[in-house]
Amino acid sequence: MAARVAQASLFAVALIIGILLVGQLRSQAPAIELSNLSAQELSTLIENLAASNVGLGDSLADLREQIREYERREVDGQSTLAIGEEDLERIGALGGLRAMEGQGVLVRAEGSFDPKAVNDLIYELRNAGAEAIAVDDVRITARSVAVLGTSAIEIDGVPIDRSFEITAIGSRDGLASALGRPGGILRQLQQSIDARFEVVERQNLTLPATERDLTPHAARTVE
Amino acid sequence: MTRRLAPRSRSRFTRSGWAVSIAVALGLIGFVGAGQWNSSLARQEFITSAQTVLVRRAEQLQREQEQLRTEIEDAEARVLGFQESDAGSQTAQERLNQELAAARLATGLATVSGPGMVLEIADSLREVPPGESPTNYIVLVDDLRDIVTALWASGAEAITISGGLSEGVPAERLVATSSIYGVGSAILVNIAPLSPPYRIEAIGPVGLHDRLMAHPIYIARVAPRVEAYGLQFASEPRDELTIPAFVGNTRLRWGVPVGDD
Repeated sequence: MAARVAQASLFAVALIIGILLVGQLRSQAPAIELSNLSAQELSTLIENLAASNVGLGDSLADLREQIREYERREVDGQSTLAIGEEDLERIGALGGLRAMEGQGVLVRAEGSFDPKAVNDLIYELRNAGAEAIAVDDVRITARSVAVLGTSAIEIDGVPIDRSFEITAIGSRDGLASALGRPGGILRQLQQSIDARFEVVERQNLTLPATERDLTPHAARTVE
Repeated sequence: MTRRLAPRSRSRFTRSGWAVSIAVALGLIGFVGAGQWNSSLARQEFITSAQTVLVRRAEQLQREQEQLRTEIEDAEARVLGFQESDAGSQTAQERLNQELAAARLATGLATVSGPGMVLEIADSLREVPPGESPTNYIVLVDDLRDIVTALWASGAEAITISGGLSEGVPAERLVATSSIYGVGSAILVNIAPLSPPYRIEAIGPVGLHDRLMAHPIYIARVAPRVEAYGLQFASEPRDELTIPAFVGNTRLRWGVPVGDD
């Protein structure tokens, strides 16, 4: 009897170890099947990840500096209002609530665009690290998408003409390279809809704040 | 006279009992493990050594990305803690905190709850007919972009995209700088590689699900692909969802708010 209990116990322990082992192996499997990507695709992915990680590292360094500043002021009994106000400006600028200025690119576009093509251009700039984008005078926020209006493409209810300008603040070189890469979005649109583009690098661009009210009505902050 | 089993017979039975128990347990482990390994091994046959190096580099960068984002999330929480406990002028601080909270809510930097919908889309399970492109039968970056465009146009106020079956994979909150980008068959959201099945959650005014299903972009672009190629698709409205705040790069490097010194 004791032997059978021991056997059953050993069986159960071995089974549990095996299940845990397989679970561990499964959790360590890559999130995407990288082995399915070609060498060129992997290189592009690596380039994107590396650039993103540099940005994340800079962001983390800034946050740590901000924390150190808060700690210094806390020790000295000083107000931290100024730090908070800088944060407010930064959050507003990134989200489109505030106008922004800086270097970047101006893209003059003309052609028989559809809403998807305009959205694809915006995504290309975002992926290249644009910190702010505007189409004509419409500041692009998270919720801004090009859709077919009653008679033209519209973004945030504002019609876009056959000729329009996209401005983006970010690395001039990085944005221009991303737009101009062989087989990239500009090449594709030039071939598919006979679109014409002029990409101009600028040292100083100014993008307006959004005129849209971004205050949500259904979503509420979780405390 | 009581008959007793010979000691030798009993020990033979005991040894074989142990052996059977261990063998069955190991057999089960092997069966489950083989199912996990087989698919990986089949793909491994076709990887060149150069690709192996690239795959390892990409995996390393993914791990670094996850680590950085975890640290950013912790640091943001600490900053929030300082802002909410400042010992300066209470009136000015309270006003600033309200403005910060409103700005975070409006721009995707706050965790939010509310009514909305959930949608899942995954690659087709159908066999690809001869002569047809296999890419038609997988979820493409355009599919996710179309769904997101239709959601924003339908009044969504907060959207996340997540991928894969693993527990603990963070959902990617979409903000003004968010990209949804394709690299081959891989889809990156906020430069984080995701794999199918893709899960999209959105908070918005009541009726969001119905508005999405009726939106021209969904009807003209998404629904036909689901129907024609058998992409796996499911969606439903939800009375209450919680969507996490964006975690990522929120620092300005190339631009400044207008009016800054």
